[in-house]
Amino acid sequence: MRGRVFLGFIAPSLVLMIIFIALPLVSVAWQSFHATQGVFENVLVESCAPGFLTQTCVKTIQSRPIMQAGVAVTQTSFVGWDNYRQLLQPDAVGKAFSPTGQGMSALLHIDFYNALRFTLTFTLITLPFIIGLGLLLALAVDDIARGLRGPVIFVTLLPYIITPVIGALSIRWLFVGDGVLTDALRAITGHDVSMFGQGWTIELMMLFYRIWHIAPFAFVVFYAGLQTVNRDIIEASVIDGATRMERLRYVIIPHLVPLIVFVTLIHLMDSFRVFDEIVGFAAQAYRISLQWLTYSLLTPDQTGNRAIARASASAMLTMLGIVVLLLVPLRRTWRDHRGKS
Amino acid sequence: MLKNMLLSATILLGASVSAQAACDFANTTPIKVQAPSFPAWIAVSDYMKTCGNVQVELDMQYKEKQPAALSAKPALYQFAGLAVNSLVPLLNDGTVRPLDDLIAKYGQNLQANQLIRIDGKVMAIAMMVNVQHLMYRRDIFADLKLPEPTNYDELLVSLAAIKKSGAMQYPMGGTYKSGWDLATDFVNMYFGFEGAFFGAGNVATVQGEAGLKTLAMMKALTAYMDPEFLTSETTTVQQQFQRGKIAAANLWVTRAAAMDDAKESTVVGKIAFAKAPAAHAGGKPATTVWWDGFAIAKNISDAEADAAFRVAMQGLSPEMVKANNNAAIWLIKGYEPGKYAVGAAASAAAGAPPYPATTAMGLMHTALGANLANFFNGRETADQTLAKIAAAYTVSAKEKGILK
Amino acid sequence: MIPALRASVPLRIAASLFLIGWLIVAAFPLFWITALSFKVPLDAFSTNPLDVVLGPRTAAAHGGISAKDLLVIGLVMITTTLIFRQSIPLRSKFIRLGVYCAIWIIVLPQALGVFGDVFTRPLFGITWEHYREVWVGHAFYRQFINSAIVTAGVVCVSLTAGTLAGYALARTGTAFAFWLLIAALVFRALPHSVLLAGYLPTLINSQAILAPLWEWPATAWFFHFFATEPPTLYGRILPVILVLVSINQPFTIWMLRSFFASIPVELDEAAQVDGCTPLQAFRLVIMPVMWPGVITTGLFSFLLAYNDYLVTSLLLDQQSQTMVPAIAQFLNSENSAADQIQAIAAAVSITAPLFLLVMVFQRQIVSGLTAGAVKG
Repeated sequence: MRGRVFLGFIAPSLVLMIIFIALPLVSVAWQSFHATQGVFENVLVESCAPGFLTQTCVKTIQSRPIMQAGVAVTQTSFVGWDNYRQLLQPDAVGKAFSPTGQGMSALLHIDFYNALRFTLTFTLITLPFIIGLGLLLALAVDDIARGLRGPVIFVTLLPYIITPVIGALSIRWLFVGDGVLTDALRAITGHDVSMFGQGWTIELMMLFYRIWHIAPFAFVVFYAGLQTVNRDIIEASVIDGATRMERLRYVIIPHLVPLIVFVTLIHLMDSFRVFDEIVGFAAQAYRISLQWLTYSLLTPDQTGNRAIARASASAMLTMLGIVVLLLVPLRRTWRDHRGKS
Repeated sequence: MLKNMLLSATILLGASVSAQAACDFANTTPIKVQAPSFPAWIAVSDYMKTCGNVQVELDMQYKEKQPAALSAKPALYQFAGLAVNSLVPLLNDGTVRPLDDLIAKYGQNLQANQLIRIDGKVMAIAMMVNVQHLMYRRDIFADLKLPEPTNYDELLVSLAAIKKSGAMQYPMGGTYKSGWDLATDFVNMYFGFEGAFFGAGNVATVQGEAGLKTLAMMKALTAYMDPEFLTSETTTVQQQFQRGKIAAANLWVTRAAAMDDAKESTVVGKIAFAKAPAAHAGGKPATTVWWDGFAIAKNISDAEADAAFRVAMQGLSPEMVKANNNAAIWLIKGYEPGKYAVGAAASAAAGAPPYPATTAMGLMHTALGANLANFFNGRETADQTLAKIAAAYTVSAKEKGILK
Repeated sequence: MIPALRASVPLRIAASLFLIGWLIVAAFPLFWITALSFKVPLDAFSTNPLDVVLGPRTAAAHGGISAKDLLVIGLVMITTTLIFRQSIPLRSKFIRLGVYCAIWIIVLPQALGVFGDVFTRPLFGITWEHYREVWVGHAFYRQFINSAIVTAGVVCVSLTAGTLAGYALARTGTAFAFWLLIAALVFRALPHSVLLAGYLPTLINSQAILAPLWEWPATAWFFHFFATEPPTLYGRILPVILVLVSINQPFTIWMLRSFFASIPVELDEAAQVDGCTPLQAFRLVIMPVMWPGVITTGLFSFLLAYNDYLVTSLLLDQQSQTMVPAIAQFLNSENSAADQIQAIAAAVSITAPLFLLVMVFQRQIVSGLTAGAVKG
């Protein structure tokens, strides 16, 4: 396909992606190296608040923004790596790993590393479960009677299609406080289990939710892949006396490898920006993720201020993390692509 | 077209809610209202709608949306319903207008108490106060012959007795959800211990005696709370009461009436309302008084501001209060404090301070909300947590520009 | 299937047990919220799980489904399926269906009356009050319409732009195309909250930002054609559609590229030899065979647009709000247990169309993926 024609075909998508993704991204990168400050003066202000029945007025020294033509004055300046330093706190890290420091446990008291720790374990622990469960489901469904497949696939897909916010909430409602499963657990174990009372149970539930939610996606991709396995090879292998395990190992899995890479890729990207679970399970008191960190920095604080600079830095670091994670599976795509041209 | 039809359908629907209370003028200027979505605002906005051409948006994310929406030119909303703390960002951005002229023109029904003056100019109008105060199970306390607790030490003794009696495993409720709620409880207790958050030049002084005492007392209370307290917000505590799970909590007065709602409560008539306990014997009630009210956007035409204010006065009318007397502790003429206001009034009378809404306090509140949880989930000591709060405040205060 | 391919009995039992276990885990949370949404608060939040399913207080107050009702519904459904499987003319199908249904609906209840109220007593309490409150009281149909517009818009724009780009990329091996794909991949990996921080102020201030386009003579005539002054884009559905399309476009392009790559190049080469322009070749040769892949990709776009919370909650106002952020509002503004169940009822309402969608398109999802929409 020639250059001009090619450009014509991709133009609509390209324009959209440039306007709505690339440009905001550039501005995020720019902002991560700058800081915007208000300009304040300290003045004695009398402010009155309604008490109950009588009014209470107090005179206090307050910081008041300086206004110019009705707009608060701000200054934006280049601050180099300052925003990154605020997040990464290299001094504190150095101290933690100095001979007198407490090592990892001190490191995890810094929000960024705490979030990074959770995000990484979350991503890497759910991955094998999703691939494994998806594969098992695909093999099991492929083995049952044709008439049953429709309904089984339908129910299996439910956790994937359901709105994530609702999915997380529905699982939360089962376990929170006096949820039905909490009561069941109490009946079985004999003592009170508060699923939202400590970090590890919440983390476990978030892992469970993600596997529950994404495994059906892996399943349907693998199941589709199984439909294209070459039946001749299977039959030949049976005649050669290959056992079921051997067929799985030497015929079916190799056939599915590209799909496994595909699911891995999608899953790495999606779970590295884990966010819905933190909100859905109200987990922020115990576990935070990188995207949650960015989001919480962006949420206006009680003064209406968004810590955009630090949020941008945190976003850039998240992106860096994803790119590093993706490098391994992507090398393959590059080879494939070269092979085609 | 479809949108207009739907819109007029909504207006009709709104009008039917309070058809008996007709607005005393016909509004012709389109007014957009944004306000929080709790019952008091539903009542007020229904009355505002009777004037016509009023489009209401009730949204609990108002705190996040208002600063940006009001700074647009023209502002997206003429009328902003807000609370004491969410007025600060609007004042800082200079996106709300002084109301003195409008009050002179239309504010005959307002009481002096309602005018929120900042540096001499009225920048907002309050309509109700809200305060956290003690609610407890009258029946359980009576059965065990426990007195009404006046301070937290007494409350702890009562809680121990209730737990020991076997009536409840976790007799205490608390709005300890990590974030804004937990920070608010900290602020209440901290003021109860006569703590000060800032020294000269906005330097944080939270790392002191009062901070340590506050954390110790809050931690002591959590021993009697359901272990999931870090996810427990106002509605959670309300429901714990309603289902008979807890015997005491320091809860917002707006939730008092729900205790006697037979449709969902199993403890109708069993809850007593009292002033918030003091942090230590002889102290003032450890709680802060908040207000809710409204402001008018600056980036709109004077005619729009005029209409918006006039409509607002219809919303805050004595008739509205008469029809919704128990929905809130109103500051509006015609309000008759009922049994649900007793505890709040007693707290205020005993000297509970107003919530000190300033820029610095806003940053401190945020820093508290983001960092307190690690103390309560056991990952950090009190000293570590207070140090982290001070550090987080310092970073954001420097970013904001109020700290050199 | 040749006999040796059949699994051994223990393996088949294990596989069935595994599948049954999974199906329960997959469906239970949804079953549970559905059960909750039909109960009065005292039942729904009862500590006894049986109360939640059976709803004695709901039954007392609002009635419910009795054993008789279940029997009738069950029999009608079974009869319908059986009759429609028979190979007889359609008219006789309906006649038979009518006769049987008349028996089940009219005669059976009478017959069961002999046993007293054993069969007519409500077994499961059911109340529609929460649904009524959500759909009528809170006018949830408006959010439904908004959701429908956003979803339809996203699917259409996304597929139109995506098929063109996916096709072009599948037929090019240049380094530029490769890096474009990698960029798309990185874009897909971006945390969305970052992008949103840039959108919000831009959309709110769009009137000021777009003003030059309306003033500059070269473009003014064009834009004045649409409106006399620049619009405030915040709260409008169109920008939200474009944002969602852009966010999802990398995935769409990748899916469609792999799908087009599985269509032999010889097809369009032959068309070009016959004198077709690339666009004609695409329209005449590729379009007829691309539907399985396009439907599958479209379903993913549908899910993204329909389920989105972050973008829609931030960029839309109450007038243009879609269903999912509206739920969060229900939850945020909940002051009572009844509000909470209304939120659950709304959640179930949102899930229902997804149910239908998967029921209808389930076969297409699998066949589209099988046909090569995913090849890694």
